[in-house]
Amino acid sequence: MKLTIRDLALGYGGRPAVDGVSFEIGGGEMVAIVGPNGSGKSTLLRGMSRLQKPERGQVLLGETDIRSMSPRAVARQLAILPQSPDGGLDLTVRELAWRGRYPHQGILQRARRVDFEAVEWALEAADVEYLSERGLASLSGGERQRAWIALALAQQPRVLLLDEPTTFLDIQHQLEVMRLLRRLNREGMTVVVVLHDLVLAGRFADRVIALRQGRIEFDGAPREVLLPEALERVFGVPMMVLSDPETGLPVPLPRGMRHEQRAVSNEQ
Amino acid sequence: MAGMAASSRLDSGAIPRRPLFRTGRRQLAAVVIALAVLAVVGYLSLAYGSVNLTPTEVWRGLTEDSDSFARSVVWQIRYPRLLDGMIVGAALAVSGNLLQGVTRNPLADPTILGITAAAGLASATAIVINPQVPQWGIAMACVGGGLLGAGVLFVIAWRGAVSPVRLALAGVALSAFFGAAVVGLLSSSRTFLQTSLGFLAGGLYGSEWTDLRAGLPYVVPAFGAALLLGGRLNALALGDEVAAGLGVLTDRTRLFILGVCGVLTGVAVSMAGLVSFVGLVCPHLARFSVGNDNRYMIPVSALYGAVLVAAADLVARLVIEPSEIPMGIITAGVGAPFLLYQVKFRG
Repeated sequence: MKLTIRDLALGYGGRPAVDGVSFEIGGGEMVAIVGPNGSGKSTLLRGMSRLQKPERGQVLLGETDIRSMSPRAVARQLAILPQSPDGGLDLTVRELAWRGRYPHQGILQRARRVDFEAVEWALEAADVEYLSERGLASLSGGERQRAWIALALAQQPRVLLLDEPTTFLDIQHQLEVMRLLRRLNREGMTVVVVLHDLVLAGRFADRVIALRQGRIEFDGAPREVLLPEALERVFGVPMMVLSDPETGLPVPLPRGMRHEQRAVSNEQ
Repeated sequence: MAGMAASSRLDSGAIPRRPLFRTGRRQLAAVVIALAVLAVVGYLSLAYGSVNLTPTEVWRGLTEDSDSFARSVVWQIRYPRLLDGMIVGAALAVSGNLLQGVTRNPLADPTILGITAAAGLASATAIVINPQVPQWGIAMACVGGGLLGAGVLFVIAWRGAVSPVRLALAGVALSAFFGAAVVGLLSSSRTFLQTSLGFLAGGLYGSEWTDLRAGLPYVVPAFGAALLLGGRLNALALGDEVAAGLGVLTDRTRLFILGVCGVLTGVAVSMAGLVSFVGLVCPHLARFSVGNDNRYMIPVSALYGAVLVAAADLVARLVIEPSEIPMGIITAGVGAPFLLYQVKFRG
């Protein structure tokens, strides 16, 4: 499902955190949003999902402005996973996934077959089926993150937005989460993920959008836009971009400083 | 589409074996036992007191419209008092359940957050202004006071995200302030010192049909609303951002839930004064019985609240017969140790 962002501005008074951003995300794309702290990434994601009211501009889900849809109608098509959610610790993984059915269930409706099926699919897709009777509080960081993803998947969204889903995870769990997202994406889901890690962005995204001070700095395929000068403009540090010898994908790195090099040579 | 892939995979046999909602035998048993206890407590409440009646007399008192002594004891005194107690308990328990859900704080309850005291202040004010105020006036004042207390809590604690700590502090401050105002008001007016003790400690002494009639127009819609709020409360329990992502209008929902709490608490105060701890204990017992799903917890909390207050009132009436102690002393006697247990092992 297509997502169109038109001249979107978001803020809490004062200088807008997102300042007139426009882009279009086609159905089935996997997009990474990158940028330094405070560049407006999370705010943009909130604005794209009806969590925050825009000061101006529009977000269209398909052809419809999400502000003109009911929140539940939006939630049936678009799921957002905020950064490190802290609730639900008294629930099991399966109970958590069931809460994702909220936008699909009527106020007095009993669980239907489609609800059971959606939950089972979500548990399986997020690879937490084997954890489904475990309490959320007893899980490791990576397992817990996948449980939250199962909640979002139980909504059966066509668009999935995630805010830094890999933060606080070790490399193995980062890769697990990113591979899961890519698999969902290959099965047809539109995925938009805010990432701090440029290496993950270069490796897993079809398209990278960089924000700086609430505006888009660059937007395109990783190989075309993850370039040293562009990254330096966005992050304000000298950068280089290597090419992964196995995949040819770009691997952005901050350049070493002289004194750091000296420290290395001293150790040898 | 991802969902399509799901159903095709599931149609090949991976249909869930185990339903989500733990409505197993144990859960059903808890509800059945509660209903049985309620029936026993209800019967004892009608039969025993300053005069003891036989089962036949109780039955006749309930069903035969006569001028008999049993009729006046059962129908005019004990039956309305039993019903009042059940409504008070259910209202406080549901209010506590909603508050614990909406604040994501297991120690929330209408007394701790100051809503009870706000309703009590409104009630005391109404009585001081007009000692002859009819019961419908007191009910209206209490509901207004409850709504006011809930509204103040919302404004103080919810402009922006609120931490459980901030909320608890606001609640403690509010309940201290309103509580002091109630005591100040009661002690400065000499007209009704006798009843004011019962009011402060919480009790059903002198309950009549008029109390019930005055409270029902508020409490029935509030119960109805509470029963429909379970799904939203389930979503709110996951945190504001997640709840909003699921399609809940978080601020509006919270305001509405607090309003329902204000009404329920107000009605309870109009009938029984300041009864504490019912709203704290019952939701925990309900969660223990039926799990974390608020759609099931809310009605079960109501049932447990009704049982607890009816039983507490029975004990309060019988323990120093022919006199009686305020029922709130019994609920506090049960609730305070429970609170300490919560703080020690869960808090």
